[in-house]
Amino acid sequence: MPAIVGIYDQPGPTADVAKRLRARGFDDIEVYAPAAFPELDDAVDPKPSGVRIWTLIGGLLGVFTGYFISIWMSNDWPIMIGGKPFAAIPTYTIIGFELTILFGGLATLLGLLVVGRLPYGAFGKNDKAYSARFSAEEFGVVVECKDRDVREVDSLMRAHDAKEVNLVER
Amino acid sequence: MSPPAMPVADTLVPQPAPPDSKINRDILRVMEGTSFGYWLLLLISIASVGMAGGIWTYQVYEGLGIAGYTHPLFWGVYIVTFVFWVGIAHAGTLISAILYLFRAKWRNAINRSAEAMTVFAVLTAAQFLGIHVGRMWKAYFILPYPNQRGLWVNFKSPLMWDTFAITTYATISIVFFYIGLIPDLAIARDRATGWRKLLYTALALGWQGTSRQWKSHSRSVLHLSGLATPLVLSVHSVVSWDFAMSIVPGWHATIFAPYFVAGAIFSGFAMVLTVMIPVRRIYRLEAYITDYHFENMARFLLLTSLIVGYSYAIEYFIAWYSGVEAEQSAFWLRAFGPYWISTWTMIACNCIGPQLFWFKRLRTHIPTLFVVSTFINIGMWFERYVIIITSLSREYDPAVWGVYTPSWAELGIFVGSFGFFSMFFIMFLKLFPVIAISEVKELAIHEKAHGDHGHAPAEA
Repeated sequence: MPAIVGIYDQPGPTADVAKRLRARGFDDIEVYAPAAFPELDDAVDPKPSGVRIWTLIGGLLGVFTGYFISIWMSNDWPIMIGGKPFAAIPTYTIIGFELTILFGGLATLLGLLVVGRLPYGAFGKNDKAYSARFSAEEFGVVVECKDRDVREVDSLMRAHDAKEVNLVER
Repeated sequence: MSPPAMPVADTLVPQPAPPDSKINRDILRVMEGTSFGYWLLLLISIASVGMAGGIWTYQVYEGLGIAGYTHPLFWGVYIVTFVFWVGIAHAGTLISAILYLFRAKWRNAINRSAEAMTVFAVLTAAQFLGIHVGRMWKAYFILPYPNQRGLWVNFKSPLMWDTFAITTYATISIVFFYIGLIPDLAIARDRATGWRKLLYTALALGWQGTSRQWKSHSRSVLHLSGLATPLVLSVHSVVSWDFAMSIVPGWHATIFAPYFVAGAIFSGFAMVLTVMIPVRRIYRLEAYITDYHFENMARFLLLTSLIVGYSYAIEYFIAWYSGVEAEQSAFWLRAFGPYWISTWTMIACNCIGPQLFWFKRLRTHIPTLFVVSTFINIGMWFERYVIIITSLSREYDPAVWGVYTPSWAELGIFVGSFGFFSMFFIMFLKLFPVIAISEVKELAIHEKAHGDHGHAPAEA
């Protein structure tokens, strides 16, 4: 199936064309951007990123682990201090807090890898539609479409001020 | 597949791509080529690390006696330097996380180098815990791992909290640094050749800047910022509790946590300025790291200097107001006892010098910034020296008072710590983009689309 790559200078028209293409029923759209532009990400997929769940689960696991290891270990090796409980909960809050951050942060990294599908592709091989100009300052919209739709996609991309429209075989 | 019915025939052959972005070229240029001066600096750094390594080996052979530890002082320059480097490590996360949450766009020019400094400073600081306790190879004893003795660590000890805080901080700083670096590694990958191409291809993880990748990336940076903000405040609070949880006069104060955090941010920003002023000049990065960035940092220095100065004053006030004789005597001896030089150096460098930044002309005068920030680094080391040494050497019983002088071994390893930090930073300059390219680009593209409303660097 051919893929059409529209090249843009600005994130605004790039987002507009991605939205129009989605509205026309083209599902296989990808956008390349040289920096983070939320409007582009939402144009392709308006759903919130799933990384949030990873952070939440990591954080909760961290706070549980922090309190659990400190309380359990205090009871496993009891040190009697004036008849007080073996576990000193207020001080263990520090362990719980630090592990919340540690596990939450590591889970966020893992979430980035899983949700962002990284590492991506084969080592040293980028998508055919990708080029170094997208790590310069240009934006790209890539659509996979049937042969009969090529003309429509081409004219839609040009109508949104595409600098170039190229055809690549994937 | 049959060819498309004539529509894009005229564009089947891609037109030549425009020349690379100016931002890419300017920032990646820093990584190209090495001068004689570069190798000399790297050699000096490595040599000083070698020297410190030699002294440490001798210390392992001879014992901690050569570190000048004697009754009543068993915390000396190693702990002073540990706290100093942990403090330095605070600027990176503050700039990356807290200023990110506040949407302070000016952070973009300096966040990468500050994050790198954070990572290297934490690594440097961590060495000192091992050096201080002596048998560094037994450092894992402090971790709660199952063992034959059925013995667990004491979670009620502030030193244990410190272990968790520093480990978490080091890990999260490295994660933050790496996640921010991924898009820039892809930029470098697309333009590199040879071994660099292999390195950046491996580290960039196949990044192509797709919307899925950017969405997850932005969300991860946001979450890490949310996590790192309380972390950065907690780390130096926990370090301060190493002292404040004891009953040593001069340490046992509730103000210690905010006082230490402000001091850490103060010293961290000073170190970023001290390092970045020469880097900007040598690599001609004036279009990206502008005087506006330095001025904002000077404002931070002024603010944190006032907080630190206030904390010094409150410590003296409370010592007097408490009516506790040991406290009063500890603080009197700080100012007028055998360590008076350290105390007055600390006050001059940390409280008086930064007052120059009330004046815009001095905030934007680069030599003044460089000199004042360098003196702040000196002053902040002395602050920790004053807190630790004067308090321990003058505890409750005058019969056990003593006077501490740093030994040659301690000073040698202290000097080596600067070599350790510099060695990593000098290598970082040539291996990774020193400015967050994609973040600078984001501002530049916005500016191009909407006109210049800010202080972002020159157009691409």
